[in-house]
Amino acid sequence: MMKRLFPIGHVMGFIFSLVLTLVAMLVVYTDMSYTMGMVILVSTAVIQATVQLFMFMHVNESKEDRNTLYINIIYAVVVSLITIFGSLWTLIWDW
Amino acid sequence: MKIDNSLPLEYRNEENRFRITGFWIFLGAEIVLFATLFLTYFTLWTRTGSGLTAADVFVLEPVLAETFILLTSSFTCGLAIHAMRQGLKKPMMVFMGITLLLGAAFLGIEIYEFYTYVHEGLTLQTSAFASSLFVLLGTHGAHVTFGLLWGIAIMIQLKREGLNETTANKSFIFSLYWHFLDVVWIFIFSFVYLKGLM
Amino acid sequence: MNWDKFIVDGLKHGDPLIIGAVISIVLVSIAIVAGLTYFKKWGYLWREWLTTVDHKKIGVMYIISALVMLFRGGADGLMLRIQLTAPEAKFLTAQHYNEIFSAHGIIMILFMAMPFIIGIMNVVIPLQIGARDVAFPRLNAVSFWLFFFGAMLYNIAFVVGGAPDAGWTSYFPLASTEFSPGVGNNYYAIALQIAGLGTLMTGVNFIVTIMKMRAPGMTLMRMPMFTWSTLITCIIIVFAFPVLTVALALMMFDRLFGSQFFTMANGGMDMLWANLFWVWGHPEVYIVILPAFGIYSEIISTFSRKNLYGYKSMVASMAIISLLSFLVWVHHFYTMGQGAAVNSFFSITTMLIAVPTGVKIFNWLFTLRKGKIVFTTPMLYSLAFIPIFTLGGVTGVMLAMASADYQYHNTMFLVAHFHYVLIPGTVFAVIAGMYYWFPLIAGFKLNERQGKAAFWTIAISFNVTFLPLFFLGLDGMTRRQYTYSAETGFGPLNLIATIGSVGLMIGFALVVYNIIWSFRHAPRETKGDVWDGAGRTLEWATHIPVPVYNFAVVPEVDRLDAFYFAKKEKRSLFKNKIEKIHMPSNNGQPFILGAIFFFWGFFMVFSMWKSAIVAGIGVLILLAMRTFERDHGFYIPVDEVKKTEQSYGGDSV
Repeated sequence: MMKRLFPIGHVMGFIFSLVLTLVAMLVVYTDMSYTMGMVILVSTAVIQATVQLFMFMHVNESKEDRNTLYINIIYAVVVSLITIFGSLWTLIWDW
Repeated sequence: MKIDNSLPLEYRNEENRFRITGFWIFLGAEIVLFATLFLTYFTLWTRTGSGLTAADVFVLEPVLAETFILLTSSFTCGLAIHAMRQGLKKPMMVFMGITLLLGAAFLGIEIYEFYTYVHEGLTLQTSAFASSLFVLLGTHGAHVTFGLLWGIAIMIQLKREGLNETTANKSFIFSLYWHFLDVVWIFIFSFVYLKGLM
Repeated sequence: MNWDKFIVDGLKHGDPLIIGAVISIVLVSIAIVAGLTYFKKWGYLWREWLTTVDHKKIGVMYIISALVMLFRGGADGLMLRIQLTAPEAKFLTAQHYNEIFSAHGIIMILFMAMPFIIGIMNVVIPLQIGARDVAFPRLNAVSFWLFFFGAMLYNIAFVVGGAPDAGWTSYFPLASTEFSPGVGNNYYAIALQIAGLGTLMTGVNFIVTIMKMRAPGMTLMRMPMFTWSTLITCIIIVFAFPVLTVALALMMFDRLFGSQFFTMANGGMDMLWANLFWVWGHPEVYIVILPAFGIYSEIISTFSRKNLYGYKSMVASMAIISLLSFLVWVHHFYTMGQGAAVNSFFSITTMLIAVPTGVKIFNWLFTLRKGKIVFTTPMLYSLAFIPIFTLGGVTGVMLAMASADYQYHNTMFLVAHFHYVLIPGTVFAVIAGMYYWFPLIAGFKLNERQGKAAFWTIAISFNVTFLPLFFLGLDGMTRRQYTYSAETGFGPLNLIATIGSVGLMIGFALVVYNIIWSFRHAPRETKGDVWDGAGRTLEWATHIPVPVYNFAVVPEVDRLDAFYFAKKEKRSLFKNKIEKIHMPSNNGQPFILGAIFFFWGFFMVFSMWKSAIVAGIGVLILLAMRTFERDHGFYIPVDEVKKTEQSYGGDSV
């Protein structure tokens, strides 16, 4: 019963997400450069999001829709990145 | 209505398949919505005027608790759907219940956090930093609150009708929403709190 | 309770225009209520329209609302022109002028162009892809009613409380409570929010419809061009409108709850508003122009009696435009003071957009080449569009150059440019589309002679109105100035422009007259393919007026323009037998939801918190009712479908 209720994929995903959170916390508890810290934060957050997307949300489970959903998410992320970095460039960095 | 019995319950009816696709596309819109709030925060977070700064108010411990609670609730929500796919209604309801309770606990801590900020002198009106922080966190919190109400409504329907195409479909869509909120929180945790404390 | 806050200043000071507006609104409302009661049409209105989930009826309601708003916005435009006719004119006060140019922009873009396009999408898209309705018919009704009540909320601002007066862009700090203390800009933040939510849902709805409900055999590359343009437009809607949602919410927080996003103190950044507004605002331009391109593609191909030239390059250019549209927003504020590299980058991306647009222009020209052109009214609009729009596009490239833009910025040159793009681009397209697809709904064509008279009046008057503005702009006349002195020498060109605007108004009145006249006198069509058998796409494959279930049998498609080739090769697209048809049931909840949103918005505008909370709870209750409801629609039995088919003559199945 335990195996039926706690599938290995989900349990691994959960443990993985806890580990990623702990890794991300390194940036606060250790002394590192800003660049290094950002690299860690960006990579842990992106991996974390991917884990949720594939292991919990099963974005790839519908054959019929898979490509639509990938394009949807990629498009949303691209627009988000353009908006965030374009705006910061315009309003803050200013070169 | 086209019915395809080879698929899981929540996908079986054509209209329900539309709903799942539609909700994914809505989540695409939500990604941009939160991205805009993040952009607002990133633009304004050093602009504190004469008010308190991020370093003054951020404390890691409660935020860490929120993170682990929400990660766990996302896990139990996934388990609920897994149980649903095997037709196990009772374990599903238990996992859904745990998910919602954890969501409520998250919300409790977040409200307590807000209370401390205000107590220390950081309110919505204090500075651009404070406004953008409160609105970013508040939008996520409002989503969680809405999720709690929605989840309760779905649990009532599950109790009444048991698992059928409709309730399975609603539960599945709810799970997408809930996992999405977890992802948003990871980004808040990383780029608001951890970055702010770095 | 203090009623004073609801009364607009103009009424207190006895401004005749405002008093006239109040009286006419009251009279029209009374006339509508009295008319409905006298003719006993309340039940009909409720059953057939207010509760409908039929995409065709929702489309018609969108188009009617849009036409009404066209006249509201047109009257505003006319008043602006009258004020500018001569130096030192006293027709409008400065404040009233500010309110009217703000209203003109908002109404024309958000409450005229958008709903007109969405209305045409509603009518045509399910038919073009061979579907019986959109993916979420109920949500479609919610979208419409949110738009409708958002528009209503905006429109009462003139007579209740005070109108927004900070331009359609509502730039901060001008729009902040510090410089605009009245409720006017609260209306802006909240009415647009409500209407915007409706648009976002439309976007999701149509993406799912087009992705999942196409007729068997219709692959993506066999879709009609209007369907393609709608798909790409909806993608832009889904990813651009959330930015507006956030921007308006922040504005609301600033104005109602004292937050510091766009303020001048405590770290606020007014430029952030301009940035967010245009991150949404530029994609919005493409949201209103791409469907227009789709409409022109259909019309030009039909009336050239040829297939569309360069189908693949048309699709590719729209896909490129959809991505580039998110990369150009800074060109709206080159002069704001950001660095040279930023301006250069956005200058280049802006000019790049001219490339895919140019590709489309050439494709239309090559479609016309050697075609057997038929000069119908919709075709005339399409033919006029090409040169006029090119003029608008070329001046757009002039404006795209950041350094040159320091000269043009905020002058009449810019005003002329965007009218040259938006009127032949969007307005001509929606009117052409209305003429072209009118028989689907009504069962008859609009009178061609009157239609052509209206076309020539509009096309000529348009140029008389807006061509002088280019020169006025180059001479230094800025936009949004409510008067000027005689020494500036702006008088003569302004006089010409005003004469043109009167002509435009006459032209649009002729369009409405044409519709009313045709309802009474136009001969009824008997077969679906009304444009002399030249229809190429599936909407012409069914009967007209289109029955409630659209197609008795779902068509099967084997290539692009399948209907045209099926006619040519004398075979049928309808292979299956008639079966019972599943339909969604009508429901009044979308209307009620919209109405509650209206009251919520009204209470928010006037900071009446308790009432606003009650209305907010009302919204939640309706959502809860929806989730507990079990409505699986109903079936139209085979006999009834057959009977309906026979009443049309029954030869197509």
